[in-house]
Amino acid sequence: MVKLATLTLAGCACLWGQDARQIVAESQKRGSVQSQRYEGVLRVEDRNRTISEKQWHYVRQGSYGSSKAILRFTAPAEVKGVALLILNHPDRASDQWMWTPAIGRERRIAFQDRSTRFFGTDFSFEDLEERDVEQFEYKMIGEETLAGVKCWQIESRPKQGKSSQYTFSRVWIRQPDYVPARVESYSKDQMVRRLNYADIEKVQGVWLARTLEMNDLRRGSRTILKLEKLQLNTPMNDTEFTVAALRREQ
Amino acid sequence: MKPLLAVLLAVTAGAQDFSQRGYLESGTYYYPQEAPGDSGRVTSNLLLRYEAAYKASSNLRFNASIDARADTHREVEREAHLSWWDREAQRPALEIRRLGLIYTRGEFTLELGKQLIRWGKADLLNPTDRFAPRDYINLVQTEYLPVTAAHLTWAHAADSVEFVYTPRFTPSRTPLLNQRWAPVPPGIQVVDGGARFPGGPQFGLRWNHAGSRIEYSLSAFDGFNHLPVLDLTVRSLAPPSVQVARQYARIRSYGGEAAMPMKWVTVKGEAAYFTSPDRFADEYAQYVVQLEKQSGEWFFTGGYAGETVTKRRSVLTYAPDRGMTEAFLGRAGYTIDSNRNVALDAAVRRNGDGSWLKLEYSQAFGQHWRGTGGFAWIRGTPQDFLGQYHLNSHLFLLLRYSF
Repeated sequence: MVKLATLTLAGCACLWGQDARQIVAESQKRGSVQSQRYEGVLRVEDRNRTISEKQWHYVRQGSYGSSKAILRFTAPAEVKGVALLILNHPDRASDQWMWTPAIGRERRIAFQDRSTRFFGTDFSFEDLEERDVEQFEYKMIGEETLAGVKCWQIESRPKQGKSSQYTFSRVWIRQPDYVPARVESYSKDQMVRRLNYADIEKVQGVWLARTLEMNDLRRGSRTILKLEKLQLNTPMNDTEFTVAALRREQ
Repeated sequence: MKPLLAVLLAVTAGAQDFSQRGYLESGTYYYPQEAPGDSGRVTSNLLLRYEAAYKASSNLRFNASIDARADTHREVEREAHLSWWDREAQRPALEIRRLGLIYTRGEFTLELGKQLIRWGKADLLNPTDRFAPRDYINLVQTEYLPVTAAHLTWAHAADSVEFVYTPRFTPSRTPLLNQRWAPVPPGIQVVDGGARFPGGPQFGLRWNHAGSRIEYSLSAFDGFNHLPVLDLTVRSLAPPSVQVARQYARIRSYGGEAAMPMKWVTVKGEAAYFTSPDRFADEYAQYVVQLEKQSGEWFFTGGYAGETVTKRRSVLTYAPDRGMTEAFLGRAGYTIDSNRNVALDAAVRRNGDGSWLKLEYSQAFGQHWRGTGGFAWIRGTPQDFLGQYHLNSHLFLLLRYSF
């Protein structure tokens, strides 16, 4: 995640012209790590407050916007082994494949299907990908204090030819440490998702959020993701991030 | 194979890189109509599947899986021998489903042992999926069978090449002659003449390219059709009695598959041409074209599967893959919430002689339990592959405990 953290950050203009883009770029740079792994504990609450819990194991390698990641469910038992491979590209949307061990097949996630929810969570497939800062245009909206910390509020829109389910997003970036604090994503003029970052702390010299709360405002549901056993810059091999690897680590 | 599995599991039990999963599932089926030769209306079965994996190093991994089965309708053998080759007419009570190792070095991955190998991109029918025999004892609730193979994959950037070698043939499991999924004409006694399994290995080669706008594959297969041609011998005319033996044709197939995401839908296509040196086997081309769309909580797939026979030689085959061609096929699903979903599968033959529809509702209870209930509705004329099962419409209830 941190990538999840930086998540829509990419998906994140200019009272001060160039400044908004520079802030986003600086935020991405500060959160940048060579690799990371964590155990994600997810709590999904639907509109009726029915709760389901899931866990996934996440590994990621490479620089922001051109990284590779694999996310593999470890619980509940019935989805154990289901996995998603994400190959991010600096100039376009990511490639994604989902592996379902029960049928022994991987399925490529088509771009037009990326707005759908990822496996019963409130994250969409698009929310799981990284987008390079160059894929968006930015405008500074102003400043606001969130949870006692002063933040820049920046609007981001996909550049022409860069497709997204979101028309634009508003991103709050904390001024002291450049960590994103909130992302609100809009479809046309309607806010459809809100992502809040919490438990922000320094891990191995990098400031990042350990808890993410994604709210799907149309469904009235939310998913809370906690990052446990987080490790940064551990050695990884490129061959761990291929469709063949997706199949064998089942 | 039993000691080998036991040793593997014992060695791995305490290891840090050991992982396991499995489930216990019961299935109950109610058929409102009697079928010729099978008066049973209610059948039940029980499956315990256990899977374990051990990562010995970053390059080496062991996988094992075992099935234990029981049932009420003698679809499962009553002898508790451990099956490796999956050649039994009935489902084995105990079966090694997977046992082998995966070794990775750079861009190469080698998997040796019993494993599932799936080729093809389409969802409705896979003419190129030649290493995937199936259990057709119940035509509506089928399952893929693993094969014993050496499977070498080379993957570089957007391209991959797979080579598969199987030393010994694994057939699909066909309906049992004394049960309703084998539509025997009334008044004729049918005796099982067994199977004549071919000897010799099978080979397959597949190249896949995953481009940003289109993903496609080309493949070739040299081996045997896992679905049988039926050899009929008349034993007596009065009373009418025939013996049915299963034989498996040597085939070569050349296939291609493609998936292309468009603005609104994903278009998938898959085709293969089958040739055979055997005088009892047809030569034919099979293809499927489908459109796929995911929208919110909905999932839709629909398309057409067709076949063109270039040399007709066989009189009688048991070929559900061919039986499902010349048909419009579709699948739809809706996720109600994180625990509940509904799904619909349907097939309608182009000439209208057969149709099949399956509707199911599934719900998870807590972290371990899931119940699935629904019905399958089959209609048609007795001469049609689907229609011949018009007495087999049924209700079903599946209960699974996953661990």
